[in-house]
Amino acid sequence: MRDLAFIAFLLAFFGMGFKRPFLLVLVYVYIDIVSPQRLTYLLLNSVPISLIAVALAVGGWILADDKRDTRVGGRQVLIVLLLLYCWGTTITADFPVEAKEKWDWVWKALAFAAFLPLTLRTRVRIEALLLFMILAASSIIVVGGIKTIASGGGGYGQLNLMVDNNSGLYEGSTISAVAIAIVPIIVWFMHHGTIFRPDWRVKAYCLALVFACLLIPVGTSTRTGLLCIGLLALLSIRNVKRKVAYLAMLGVLGLAAIPFLPSTFTNRMNTIKTYDADESASTRLAVWKWTIEYAKANPFGGGFNAYLGNHIRYDLKTTPGAAEAPKVEVDKARAYHSAYFEMLGEQGYPGLAIWLAINLIGIVRMEFIRRRYRDPDGEFAWVGPLAAALQSGHIVYLLGAGFIAIAFQPFVYMLIGAQIGLDTYLARKRSEQSFRPMRRSAVPSPA
Amino acid sequence: MIDNLALGLSHGLMMLAAFLLLKRPDLDREPSPHDSSDTKRKSTEKPRHDA
Repeated sequence: MRDLAFIAFLLAFFGMGFKRPFLLVLVYVYIDIVSPQRLTYLLLNSVPISLIAVALAVGGWILADDKRDTRVGGRQVLIVLLLLYCWGTTITADFPVEAKEKWDWVWKALAFAAFLPLTLRTRVRIEALLLFMILAASSIIVVGGIKTIASGGGGYGQLNLMVDNNSGLYEGSTISAVAIAIVPIIVWFMHHGTIFRPDWRVKAYCLALVFACLLIPVGTSTRTGLLCIGLLALLSIRNVKRKVAYLAMLGVLGLAAIPFLPSTFTNRMNTIKTYDADESASTRLAVWKWTIEYAKANPFGGGFNAYLGNHIRYDLKTTPGAAEAPKVEVDKARAYHSAYFEMLGEQGYPGLAIWLAINLIGIVRMEFIRRRYRDPDGEFAWVGPLAAALQSGHIVYLLGAGFIAIAFQPFVYMLIGAQIGLDTYLARKRSEQSFRPMRRSAVPSPA
Repeated sequence: MIDNLALGLSHGLMMLAAFLLLKRPDLDREPSPHDSSDTKRKSTEKPRHDA
């Protein structure tokens, strides 16, 4: 039954895409985030819907889209450069078979991120992209939110998010960081959306969705998610008008929430303080040390999944503050658990540098835009708050990336694509505005 | 049950959003001073159904 509903949905969506080719881009965004082929048992599994969607999206752009004054952002060039660099490290990888497996989805994420801004020619398109990203992610977030309320989550790795294989956005830590990163964008839709006008229904739904987003770190008991919520609260101070009232409200809400938090969550959060007695945190530190040493020997990276070659030893305190000697643990092939070390180990210093440039330039560009378009009235009143939301989301992601290996998370590359699209859209608008007076004085040519 | 409710809600909203986008002419182009002469010319032509 669910299979048929998905097929009907996809057919209708594809059908609309033939009327308006930009919708095909949104179809791909939807398929990439929700992975309907993983939620069904029959039919969709055997059809390469992702490939079909991307072929139609690119084909639609080539054949039908307006390409006058197409601008390429500097970061699109960097993304292509990173793609080529990753291709190089995949050829020379330590573990060629495993590296190829990761390359197979990474190149798609990067190539789509480089392509996406070319299609974002209008305000509505930028908004539509973000709306579909949020609605697609909400299909996972709403499930997680309701189940957290119903059952209290059940600890790390226990919250059932419909898919068992713990990959993509369905992985607990990843969805925690992403759910918190999109909160500022959801809030933006409460004030500036034009597809769904922000009436009371839209505002109520957005508030409920923000609440569900905040519940995801609780339900999945991920410490990273809690840190992301803290950072988001700090970043939001800059955007609110009544800062003291906002801080007071945060304090009251935070305290009021504590009695409702499940014990699995509070127990896990308490381990943040005693990280040296915690295996998950201790192995992270050991793997990071190993990665730094590995990069010294292999400055150009070991290719995807190079962590499979690690052998680590780490001390584990049995109980915090106890007099007995630390227990020595030995392990191998431990994952990076950090996007920064993932980049350093797999792509070396050049790869890490390009990746950092892509991310940090995004934050700087959004800062530039939010300052330039801070006027709350006029045609571009929506721009400053959107740049602020994209920037806050990106900073939250970069914090989450410190503890999760999500350097190539496709959702984040779509967010980066939206940033580049906004940037090139505004550059086009500025050039049009400076073009206007010349045009007025010119005699219209009988073209 | 919860899965289907959440999937139904999010997919319903996506379908509605896609439907609303079909009716937005500014999805594909915004008025630009570059095409002011083109639009004057085009205004005498037959309107496109997909515009």
